[in-house]
Amino acid sequence: MIGTKSFEAIVNGEQVKLNIPQNLRLIDVLRNYLGLTGTKEGCGEGECGACTVLVDGEPYNSCLLFALQVQNKNILTIEGLASYNNLHPLQESFLEHGAVQCGYCTPGMLLVAKALLDKNPNPTREEIKVAISGNLCRCTGYSKIVDAISAVAEKGVKR
Amino acid sequence: MKKRGIGIGCTFYGTGYGNGFPDISTAFVEIHDDGSVLILTGAVDCGQGSTTVLTQIAAEELGIPTDMVTITCADTGCTPDSGTTAATRQTYTTGNAIRLACQKAKKTLLEWAAKELGTNTIEGLVIAEGKIMVKGHPQKSITFKEACAKARFAGNRLIGEASFTTHATQVNMEDGQGAPYWPYAFGTQIAEVEVDTETGKVEVLRIVAAQDVGKAINPQSVEGQIEGGVAQGLGWSLLEEVKLSSGNITNPAFSSYLIPTVLDMPEIETYIIESHEPTGPYGAKGVGEPAMLSAAPAILNAIHDAIGVRINDLPATPEKILEALQEKK
Amino acid sequence: MTIGKSLPRYEGLGKVTGQAKFPADYYMPGMLYGKTLRTPLASAKILRLDTSKAESLRGVAKVVTAQDIPGENGHGVIFPDAPILVEDRVRSINDAIALVAAESEEIAEEALSLIKVEYEELPAVYDPREAMKEDSPLVWDKGNILYHLPIRKGDVEKGFREADVIVENKYSTQMVDHAFLQPEAALSYIDETGNLVLRVATQYVHWDRTEIARALNININQVRVVCATVGGAFGGREDMTLQLHCSLLTWLTKRPVKMVYSREESFKAHSKRHPIYMKYKTGCTKEGKLIALEAEFIGDAGAYSSWSPNILRKSAVHATGPYYVPNVKVDAYAVHTNNPFTGAMRGFGAAQPPIAYEAQMDLLAKELGLHPFTIRWRNAFEEGSETATGQILETSVGLKETLLATAKAYGWDVEKLY
Repeated sequence: MIGTKSFEAIVNGEQVKLNIPQNLRLIDVLRNYLGLTGTKEGCGEGECGACTVLVDGEPYNSCLLFALQVQNKNILTIEGLASYNNLHPLQESFLEHGAVQCGYCTPGMLLVAKALLDKNPNPTREEIKVAISGNLCRCTGYSKIVDAISAVAEKGVKR
Repeated sequence: MKKRGIGIGCTFYGTGYGNGFPDISTAFVEIHDDGSVLILTGAVDCGQGSTTVLTQIAAEELGIPTDMVTITCADTGCTPDSGTTAATRQTYTTGNAIRLACQKAKKTLLEWAAKELGTNTIEGLVIAEGKIMVKGHPQKSITFKEACAKARFAGNRLIGEASFTTHATQVNMEDGQGAPYWPYAFGTQIAEVEVDTETGKVEVLRIVAAQDVGKAINPQSVEGQIEGGVAQGLGWSLLEEVKLSSGNITNPAFSSYLIPTVLDMPEIETYIIESHEPTGPYGAKGVGEPAMLSAAPAILNAIHDAIGVRINDLPATPEKILEALQEKK
Repeated sequence: MTIGKSLPRYEGLGKVTGQAKFPADYYMPGMLYGKTLRTPLASAKILRLDTSKAESLRGVAKVVTAQDIPGENGHGVIFPDAPILVEDRVRSINDAIALVAAESEEIAEEALSLIKVEYEELPAVYDPREAMKEDSPLVWDKGNILYHLPIRKGDVEKGFREADVIVENKYSTQMVDHAFLQPEAALSYIDETGNLVLRVATQYVHWDRTEIARALNININQVRVVCATVGGAFGGREDMTLQLHCSLLTWLTKRPVKMVYSREESFKAHSKRHPIYMKYKTGCTKEGKLIALEAEFIGDAGAYSSWSPNILRKSAVHATGPYYVPNVKVDAYAVHTNNPFTGAMRGFGAAQPPIAYEAQMDLLAKELGLHPFTIRWRNAFEEGSETATGQILETSVGLKETLLATAKAYGWDVEKLY
């Protein structure tokens, strides 16, 4: 049997402390231990980006990380981007621009976009495309996702 | 050397199950005391947006805003059968069923309102701006909400149920003659590509896509279907292939089965053509599948225009293009 | 008032906040994890199936094989010819052989590795053109040709005699996966009335319910299928994948069971787009008017029927493209092979013919020195046109408007191209 170990991190602004198997992936801790099922698994090999979360502000595929690799880090999942009454401008923009179809890629797309805009509030369309190029979407053809992110950048809104 | 070319693809698509198969959708509607509405239908929304479109159809038919409409979809415990979300059929078939169901519920309400407002026929009433008004004399009215509450208190139930069948006739198995589908949707897409004759790589620079959708109930959703359809057509023509070895799939992963990323996609210009289909809800027919048909032939024709060779065996990979260029020499 | 308005998604809020529940997002206390054993062979006979070691593994609640299915061991949207679990004859790789329900995913995986299967390998065929031949190995005893639709209109021989230009070519399309982003998942349980409930991402809850009732040999009213949020489908969720397996495990254990496919298993379990081999011969007059078209489609149905007859019918009906052709001869075949089964995918048999007919249009135009726009414009369907099946297109034929809109966007001088 694989032993357990203590795992501590800040997840969506809250301190979390758990005993977890050492080989557990970050995505499994988020989904199965913390009930944060907004983080989606699409491929399990880091190819699709659906499981993207922010670790200290940087986007990572949570299917490729062991939870213990992000010990004591600050983790943001889609559930931490907003509450129902207070959407992040990117979330509003995704709705307004029709950037959401099936919605499975949406959490990852939003978090990658947030990481981009936090660092570069006024990216070009090309910079947006490069930023989301690790995130697959099978429904939209990406146009409206790029539009939605551009619109927030143009507004210059930053949080 | 990089060479550019332009290609066109025209396609059509018979929507619905077709060939006489029972192509039926059913919907239930109930109007509540406060004028808000519940729609029940079996139609699954796979992400393409049918739920939104069906809500718009219900709101339009009842003359109320969409935020007064709640819809429950695809639960066999409470929703009636509305067929598969397939065959580009939900806007058309379930949309028609919802429209008919709303008409029934509305009729009960208006019959009560006609008496209340002293009108001799419901044809003399109109629902707008949250009110039921007498046509030509809008001063005489009752709020929609009050009418619903009073009509229900008077013992009426503002409900409607309807099924809609899309008509299709079986083809003759001897000569294929018949009217297998209705309605048909049409589209044209033109692609511009750049082919690198050294590497065989194709870059799609621009796609212009026009789809005849009858009527766009939700234009943004229609655009989304077209853009997504272009992406799938592009992937199909250039990138995607399930590889088999003695029946075994050898690339069952996104690292080896490549679908388009944002960097594979050109900017897409969409044109929505509204030809008005008289049997469709507000003139609408479907868009989902037709939107993916034209991109692939347009891209293949553009490759031919660029480098003078045809790739007749999909996908048009760099290897096949280099081989074809070699043969041409 | 709302028609023609781009209102935001009805369910959009849940999708941008991570609250939308896809099937894998459901959990229940005491739930078991279900896993599937699939065969590594494409054509074989099962000689022995030994599940005893798996059954005795600690944490395994149930191992299910074909013998345990209470109802009919077959499913399919037209013909129920796909086995829920193979009893003796394997017809394609990844056919399901056995199911395990266990207290954890790891235990379920381990249990799968403990199931022993002995096979006798049988001859197989992987190319539908080979499978049509008399001496081909048989995927089904009744023969490999599942469906044939001929279309005959006018007199093609006469049409080709009158043609000024004829082009003839072969085309083929590949097998493609839907690659929807959300891999298959489901959660099933017995509700407080004793009925079975399944939460799954599907394209048709009522059909799933029918299939489940038939497999479990219970009444349709004893099954409730609730659609979770669907992470894309594109035709790939029309045939049963884990719906019946998950339901069986719950019905036989009376416990909640969750099944989640990996991307690899998703590729292996659901249908694919038909590879189609196409032969086209198209003739037109020097004015560029189509006069005769002959086409053959041979579609690879794989081992099981799924929607193959309907799909190849659709290919045949759409063989001419959106153009009027007075003389037409089409033959479309759906043929079984030992490849993974093919079924519905966005475009449904109408996607493959344009690869051929639009190439033919360009080749004809080139021979005649016509612009690609011109040859299409001169043949394009309009209201009142008759299709290859003799159907009159009475209303809403917006093809020419789509041609004009795209041509003008590219700056083509359409006035000179009619």
